[in-house]
Amino acid sequence: MIVADVVELQQKSTYILPTKAGFFLVGIIVLMMTAATNYQNNLAFLLTFLILSIGLVSILFTFKNLQGLIFKFGAVGSVFLGETLRIKIHLTSQNKQNHYTIGTGFSKKANYYIDVVEGLDNQVIIPIKSNKRGWFELPRIMATSSFPFGLLRVWTWFRFASPILVYPKPIEPPVGEAAHGEDEQEGATKFSGNDDLYGLKTYQAGDPVSRIDWKALARERGLFSKEFVAYQSQDLVFDWDDFPATEKELRLGYLCYLVLEASKANYDYSLKLPEIKIAKNSGDTHKHRCLKALALYGEEK
Amino acid sequence: MSRVSITSIPLDINAAKQISLESYNHRQIDLLPILIAQQLVLFPLYFFIPIWITLFNLTIAVLIYLSKVKKRFAIHSFIKNAVTLLATAGVLYFFQKLTGRDAGVALIATMYGLKIMEIKSHRDVYILMLLGFFILTAGFLFNQSPWIALYQFIPVAAILNGLISIHSLSGFDASKTISASGSSKIKNIFQSSLKSTIKQLVKYLLLAIPLMMVLFVFFPRLAGPIWKMPGGEGGSTGISDTMSPGAISNLQLFDKVAFRVKFKDKTPSGSQMYWRTLVLDHFDGFTWTRETEKNERGIQTFTELNKAQQLKEDYSALASFYQYDISLEKTNQRWLTFLDRPIDIPKRAVLYADYSVQTEHRLVDRTRYSAESLSQLVINPSLTEQEKQKYIYIPNDGNPRSLAWAKQQRQLYPTDRDFILGLLSKINQQEYFYTLLPPLMEEDTIDSFWFEHQKGFCEHYAGAFVFLARAAGIPARVVIGYQGAEKNPLSDYWIVRYANAHAWTEVWLVNEGWVRVDPTSAIAPHRIEEQLQQEYSQREGLFGDFGFEAVDLDDISLMKQFEYWMDQANSGWNDWILDYNQNTQRRVFEGLGLEKLTGQQIGILMVAILAVFMTFISFKWVKNKQTLDPIQNSFQRLQSKLLAFGIDLPVNKGVNELIQDLQRSDLQRSDLQKSDVQGSVRKGSGRKDSASQDMHIINSAVGIPAMEQTSQAQLIRILQYYSYLRYQRAEITQKQQNHFHDQVKRLKIRPRKMK
Repeated sequence: MIVADVVELQQKSTYILPTKAGFFLVGIIVLMMTAATNYQNNLAFLLTFLILSIGLVSILFTFKNLQGLIFKFGAVGSVFLGETLRIKIHLTSQNKQNHYTIGTGFSKKANYYIDVVEGLDNQVIIPIKSNKRGWFELPRIMATSSFPFGLLRVWTWFRFASPILVYPKPIEPPVGEAAHGEDEQEGATKFSGNDDLYGLKTYQAGDPVSRIDWKALARERGLFSKEFVAYQSQDLVFDWDDFPATEKELRLGYLCYLVLEASKANYDYSLKLPEIKIAKNSGDTHKHRCLKALALYGEEK
Repeated sequence: MSRVSITSIPLDINAAKQISLESYNHRQIDLLPILIAQQLVLFPLYFFIPIWITLFNLTIAVLIYLSKVKKRFAIHSFIKNAVTLLATAGVLYFFQKLTGRDAGVALIATMYGLKIMEIKSHRDVYILMLLGFFILTAGFLFNQSPWIALYQFIPVAAILNGLISIHSLSGFDASKTISASGSSKIKNIFQSSLKSTIKQLVKYLLLAIPLMMVLFVFFPRLAGPIWKMPGGEGGSTGISDTMSPGAISNLQLFDKVAFRVKFKDKTPSGSQMYWRTLVLDHFDGFTWTRETEKNERGIQTFTELNKAQQLKEDYSALASFYQYDISLEKTNQRWLTFLDRPIDIPKRAVLYADYSVQTEHRLVDRTRYSAESLSQLVINPSLTEQEKQKYIYIPNDGNPRSLAWAKQQRQLYPTDRDFILGLLSKINQQEYFYTLLPPLMEEDTIDSFWFEHQKGFCEHYAGAFVFLARAAGIPARVVIGYQGAEKNPLSDYWIVRYANAHAWTEVWLVNEGWVRVDPTSAIAPHRIEEQLQQEYSQREGLFGDFGFEAVDLDDISLMKQFEYWMDQANSGWNDWILDYNQNTQRRVFEGLGLEKLTGQQIGILMVAILAVFMTFISFKWVKNKQTLDPIQNSFQRLQSKLLAFGIDLPVNKGVNELIQDLQRSDLQRSDLQKSDVQGSVRKGSGRKDSASQDMHIINSAVGIPAMEQTSQAQLIRILQYYSYLRYQRAEITQKQQNHFHDQVKRLKIRPRKMK
């Protein structure tokens, strides 16, 4: 089987078999042959042979429909654990032919059909559920077709080489006790919750940052951020130890959620995990670095 | 500048939606192509089945189509079942049975027509379409002309189209494409337009036809049917077992071919071309019939035949010996036709004492056979008393004048021979006429003809002649068959039509046996109706000796030439396609030098030929793959050269845009120099740059490093050529590939020297 990020279908790993309809046609041909022999009718023979020949020729046509295709691994949609990964694949034709009704999918039952038009970038998105975080090796993918007559099915398997990084599922952390042990001098603030957080009140100068309701903040960002600007020197530190006595995956989930929210609000934040410390920063690259660290936490890779 | 992957060339995106397997299986089936295919399959059958079934089918088809197109026409499944039962009952009632060719085909056509009510899933479509192939064979049971053979390609193509229609996605969503630069184009990929679909189907059929021919020629043929099929219904055609006035003259109207004959060596003259079919020996006053004896035995084997005929060893040297092949059209009777008089008959036939020949089964299909005849053969030089009585018998009531006159004539001409000649001269010299429209004879038909009207057709003359001879005590009998033949000037065979049907007589003379006498030929030529004269100019030798000129092609009209050509085509069609059987196949193999191979070896040879052909087809396509690659390879080389020089083919720009940038770059550079961009940059960063560094600043601004004029021009040309090759619709030729390859190879991008 081919394993690469750009897969060109080879003849040798392609299989072709008649479908149920194909076998039915064989039966029909036998029936026609019997009638022709019995009535000694040569035109009936000719017709039988014509249909037989069309069947033979369609083997070539069906096979050819799947040859000369290139499958290129494209983007992946959301990559959070528990969500369906949507794998985008680019199909292009390498032999100046159109390829019709090409099915792509992770299993025989879950194919998605498109036409591959020569000269265009044809895209198909196939879904798959991720079952664990970290590096996710995509299972093998089937490319299939039974065009034009549905009498035969041709298929092949291949696998994309690059694994996909699956981030932990973001879970909103519970409103809980503030953690202790801060570096107040640096102006860094650790996140902690407060019991009465859900009594929303406008943020006032002097309120501890640990009382900020992030959810509300995200929703009413415009108002708070103005206020918050004054406290811009207060950076966020998302710490592993903020959630003691919490199960590992859950912790990762909380941290993931926090990273996402902070990133959405465009704040600087830093991430502190037992083995990794990512300095405060903001922006997409920083977000991905943090998420990657969270995803790979504890993994050998 | 970000580096981009070398292999990616920006392409427009195909924005058509994808379909999941689920929705693909359950999407609504477009009924129209399927309906059309079904009706095209049934079309030839409509000519042969009762009209009500045809109308019924069409009505159902229309209703079903309406019900799918306009939802308000939904048909309940109860109605569908009721309709099916009704239709079956109708067929049963009409035919009184459900088996046999006509009833069977009618039933199949009805059921097939009704199946359209049941199209819900893909499976239904497969069944309906693939069964259609089988139903097409039914058409051939009724008609085997080349026209129906040609027509059948149409429903085959329609069935294939129906199958394609459930597998193509195009109807689903005309694809829109969005190019990288944002403009939108509509591109219809599998154009369901008629022209492109036809092109595709024609391609499939054209490739299948040679395979079909190989199979047809080489596929081993069984000698006969696997089991006996119910024979075709339909009345007898042509010559019948009885002759009454008008029977044969009716056949005169038909131009239809009765049989075709090819002579091996010699060809008989016109007066010899009497085609003996059957002999009638009993007259009841109105009709002549053949009275068969109980346990009439015929002669079958060759040795018996020889013994009966007492032929000398080497009869093939005799002057009146003829060998020929006959292709006899279907008659639904058991009589075979031979040149008077047969001495060698086909194995499965039986020769009777009166030299008529029958087959075991009715001839429900065209029959080919070889035979030999000796026209001067002496038959029955002696007769038993019983036989004599049979051939003298005439009813003694009726036709009194003829009876009396015959006895009278007998006095004048005591010898048999003279009597016969007397009859013939009477016909010739007195006012006896030959006409296709004789007056109706009264009850004493012989009297009425011989003495009153004296106008008649061959059956009148033959009948009267035999009657009179018998009345004079001379054994005589009527022989029915054909007279004359028409050579197809385009070929080497003769055509005998129903119009050639004829009745003549045989009289028995002592020591001479049965002698052929044709009273019709005694009629004086000027007493033959004028239009018949023209007809008979073709029937060589019937009236007098017109001589036996072969018809000259230049003399015959264009229309007639075309008719001959058509008959030749028909004959060829019969010989090589319709009648292709074990024997023909053997001949083909002998022609190819393959006769030594066993059946198994032939089978292997056939498979080998098929495999070779299929490999040839697949190579023809695999070759296509190479076309794009060399261009791509060369282009990649170009890209590496560009990269080395510092030009990235940017992600969002195509080749054309790069060309534009190159063309503009010089202008841009001079503009920037004028506006002293580099000066301000220097000042801004507080640096003190050299001239080359200044250049570098400008280059960064322009985006393309400066290169020598010639290099730039060269590069632009190459890029333009690439663009042209890439987007032209025709195949890239080898020459073009090589040209592009060389150009890229030779390109040297040189940086511009600083001033």
